[in-house]
Amino acid sequence: MRTKVGQGIGLVLILLWCLFPVAWIFSLSFKSVEEAAAGSPQFLPKDPTLDTYREVLANDDFQRALINSFGISLIATTLSVILATLAAYAIARLDFTGKRVVLSIALAIAMFPVVSLVGPLFDQWRVLGLFDTWPGLIIPYMSFTLPLAIWTLSAFFREIPWEMEQAAQVDGATAWQAFRKVIVPLAAPGVFTAAILTFFFAWNDFVFGISLTSTTDARPVPAQLAFFVGPDQFNAPTSTLAAASMMVTVPIIIIVLLFQRKIVAGLTSGAVKG
Amino acid sequence: MATGAVTAPRPQASDRARRAATERSRGENRLGWKLVAPAVVMMLLVTAYPMFRALYLSLYKYRLTAPEDREFVGLNNYLAVLTDSLWWIDVGNTVFIMVVTVAVELVIGFAFAMVMHRLIFARGVVRTSILIPYGIITVVSAFAWQFAFSLNNGFVNGWLPFVGDDFNWFGSKWPALFAICVSEIWKTTPFMSLLLLAGLSQISEDMLEAAKVDGATWWQRLWKVIIPNMRAAIMVAVLFRALDAFRIFDNIYVMTRGAQGTESASFLTYRQVIEQFELGIGSALSVLLFLSVMLIAFLLVKLFRVDLAAARQEG
Amino acid sequence: MGRPEPVTASRRKHPRRRQVALGMVAVIASSLLAACGGGDSGKPTLTWYINPDPTAPDDFKGTFGQAGIAERCSTDQYTVETELLPQSATEQRIQLLRRLAAEDTSIDLMSLDPVFTAEFADAGYLAPVPANASEGVLQGAVEGASWDGKLVAAPLWANTQVLWYRKSLAEAARLDMSQPVTWDQVIDAAVENKGTVGVQANKYEGYVVWINALITSAGGAIITETDKGADAAVGVDSEAGTVAAGIVEKLANSSAAQADISVSNEGTVIPYLGEKASDPGGFMVNWTFIYATVKGGDEAVFKDLGWARYPQSVEGKESRPPIGGINIGISAFSENSDLATQAVECITSEENQIQYAIETGNMPASEATYDSEALKEQFPTDLLELFRESIDTAGPRPPSPYWNTVVSAVLSKWHPPSQVDEQTTPQETATFINAVLDGDALV
Repeated sequence: MRTKVGQGIGLVLILLWCLFPVAWIFSLSFKSVEEAAAGSPQFLPKDPTLDTYREVLANDDFQRALINSFGISLIATTLSVILATLAAYAIARLDFTGKRVVLSIALAIAMFPVVSLVGPLFDQWRVLGLFDTWPGLIIPYMSFTLPLAIWTLSAFFREIPWEMEQAAQVDGATAWQAFRKVIVPLAAPGVFTAAILTFFFAWNDFVFGISLTSTTDARPVPAQLAFFVGPDQFNAPTSTLAAASMMVTVPIIIIVLLFQRKIVAGLTSGAVKG
Repeated sequence: MATGAVTAPRPQASDRARRAATERSRGENRLGWKLVAPAVVMMLLVTAYPMFRALYLSLYKYRLTAPEDREFVGLNNYLAVLTDSLWWIDVGNTVFIMVVTVAVELVIGFAFAMVMHRLIFARGVVRTSILIPYGIITVVSAFAWQFAFSLNNGFVNGWLPFVGDDFNWFGSKWPALFAICVSEIWKTTPFMSLLLLAGLSQISEDMLEAAKVDGATWWQRLWKVIIPNMRAAIMVAVLFRALDAFRIFDNIYVMTRGAQGTESASFLTYRQVIEQFELGIGSALSVLLFLSVMLIAFLLVKLFRVDLAAARQEG
Repeated sequence: MGRPEPVTASRRKHPRRRQVALGMVAVIASSLLAACGGGDSGKPTLTWYINPDPTAPDDFKGTFGQAGIAERCSTDQYTVETELLPQSATEQRIQLLRRLAAEDTSIDLMSLDPVFTAEFADAGYLAPVPANASEGVLQGAVEGASWDGKLVAAPLWANTQVLWYRKSLAEAARLDMSQPVTWDQVIDAAVENKGTVGVQANKYEGYVVWINALITSAGGAIITETDKGADAAVGVDSEAGTVAAGIVEKLANSSAAQADISVSNEGTVIPYLGEKASDPGGFMVNWTFIYATVKGGDEAVFKDLGWARYPQSVEGKESRPPIGGINIGISAFSENSDLATQAVECITSEENQIQYAIETGNMPASEATYDSEALKEQFPTDLLELFRESIDTAGPRPPSPYWNTVVSAVLSKWHPPSQVDEQTTPQETATFINAVLDGDALV
């Protein structure tokens, strides 16, 4: 009984911690622009309104930014996971010299201070014509999500009972069938987890987003948030920003709701077991 | 998938078998490199060349808007940075943020992990909600807390009994740093707690039972059994988070823009390179920032005496 | 911003210049281009990078602000399209400079803040503007758009700061507002009557606007000989600098300072004017948009709103109010600079300046427009006259390619305002600016 009460309290504390700030932004997004501009320190809106959402939805540039963010993140995720799968397979299954070097490179890149790159990268990108384009963001996103994807995937691959593939072949399946029917289903959760984590990274990025873009051609959502203008021109409109923030958080919440089990598995297997 | 024989025991007996093994391992080597090459190239493409370029540019006085004034100055940029109080103040801030946030996250994250580990009901709900701060965009988290602490629109002043209603959190250094740390801690504690949860679940229940039978108190069990057995997990969590915290940028950019002396080393670098277009001194900063991160990683790894790559390969 | 075909537009702006050796990149790039589709029409498009305008009122019909001007200035020969820049002037500068440094041909026209006009011109990023662009333009606006003795951008509108105040507060303090007032008088009056004096003192360019106005009003300058670039002469360590530091020190440490003075900007100071008639309210230096903002608020407060010339730093010495606004520059890398020159003439025409002023409350740069009936309907005559005179006699920020660096240097010594010390701050600032300009110190 005592432990149950303790657990209940712990549970409530965790939920409060995690959801309260989200509730705050949610509540803020229903305050009218006028109310927020005049100063509205109470938690709940005085007069809830949907105007802020209407404004955000009607904002062409924000829509473009959403498309950019989705497109860039998805492409980066797909490509990154494909490359990571090849690499992780080699690391988990093959014995080759320099394996440790590869893992060390991955680790070093995972630790790389992103800001120290934007200067030279900006310089390089404008020479190559990649500045303010989708590939200009996709490439750095791939570079920085590969380490995480490789680590996660190789941990998963190591758990796969590869003998089953041979067993299936002995039972008369072709190599391709054995691979598709036996290995793919076993590897899929790992690939999927790596994809979600990679997507989160790309979706979250801010430094590259503000440094390597300058128009709506490629500007992603986190950078676009700086473009909202309030009634006085000099301050960002608090509640409109809150509404925009909620809108970019919704996809995250949906992904989390659908795949929480897999994400947790991926986060813990990728990092700790190694 | 023809090379699926890694797990086979190493041949030891005859010469022929050894030669076959070398042959096979050579093939395996080649395939291994073929498979990792694209990923390695991709990782180095964005990091290696820019880093060398930064090294090169850091030896020049070079402002992007005045390219004809570019001149070679040797190590002067490094000298200017390292003798400048601003660099040291910013490094101090960065280390402060890193130490405070990681310490707090470790304690709270550990408590969360304990709760989640023992929890028999509502596991899905907890898992879902703990992932929300993890998944939320850092900029959004920074906005949420900036508004919460703001003088005009924040509830914090009204709710905290010992703070006046007109207290300006972003008006001076330490309160502003506090707000920045809160945002950082809120967003990343879940990550910490999940890593620790994985470590917790690897501790055998038998060992805990045995300690209990021996009459160890809860406190003793925590310090003598649980924590020592989680060393690897704690180490990884601290290393990851510390290096992440050292690179803090988004929160500061949104919440204070570096005002009131809350700038981090990353933010300083960003300002020099992107805002002032001082590619020379900015590149020197980039290099120093990179070296700092390496130094911290090195110190942490030495301190905890854990060889990450080795630990990784043992799986 | 009504951009009906963003995808097509972006395609047109980026001809195939993605020549990257890596196959991977090529694949991504080509798949992107394929996805874009669309075709080019023969008529050239001029892309005009604009700073954000205020939000259009709900009942506004048509296209608002600069986008509206772009629409009106599109002809049979070319279309003017707008591309939005971020909200803060600092960010606008960064975005534009990045593209211009890359010699990007996708910018034809741009809305430039006077503070970075000189830097752009010095770097060779600006093509010549129509020769007659300075005709009939108020003196302060011309100075803000000139570099090296030449007009380098065409002023679209000019901003200035005046002293806004609550008449009841000035009356209670027995301050004669028909005569020029000094900062000392204003601060004392606010302290005695529990009012505030609103200024902009966040760690941003806007704070230097205030500091610069204090110094120029006292007869000094932050830097002079700016045509020498990084070798400009630093003038903060002077009597004028001491007077300015004294005023900042006095206000920031008095009860008339706003609670959030160290993060205050043009928007956050507005509520301190009072939201209802019973609030004591205060004095405030701020740009011209305040009139429209207060007009839209509480009626009693609006009736109580007064305006006067920017306060003097030294009694008896005419103040030099800040000047801002927007100049239209033509990119040196534009492929349509002839057309862009024509477009600038249209954009900065008197009719467009007047209509823009009526829509947004941003005052025209051209002198003659102040006599127009349309403007007089919108603004009280004495206020218009005050604006005009203020712009004409303004004390611009020194046009220097290194202004941004100077600003950062000044801010690092003058922020937070409560730490300013008239004895030491000016001298420390001067030493620091010199060190920074020489590349010996970080800022």
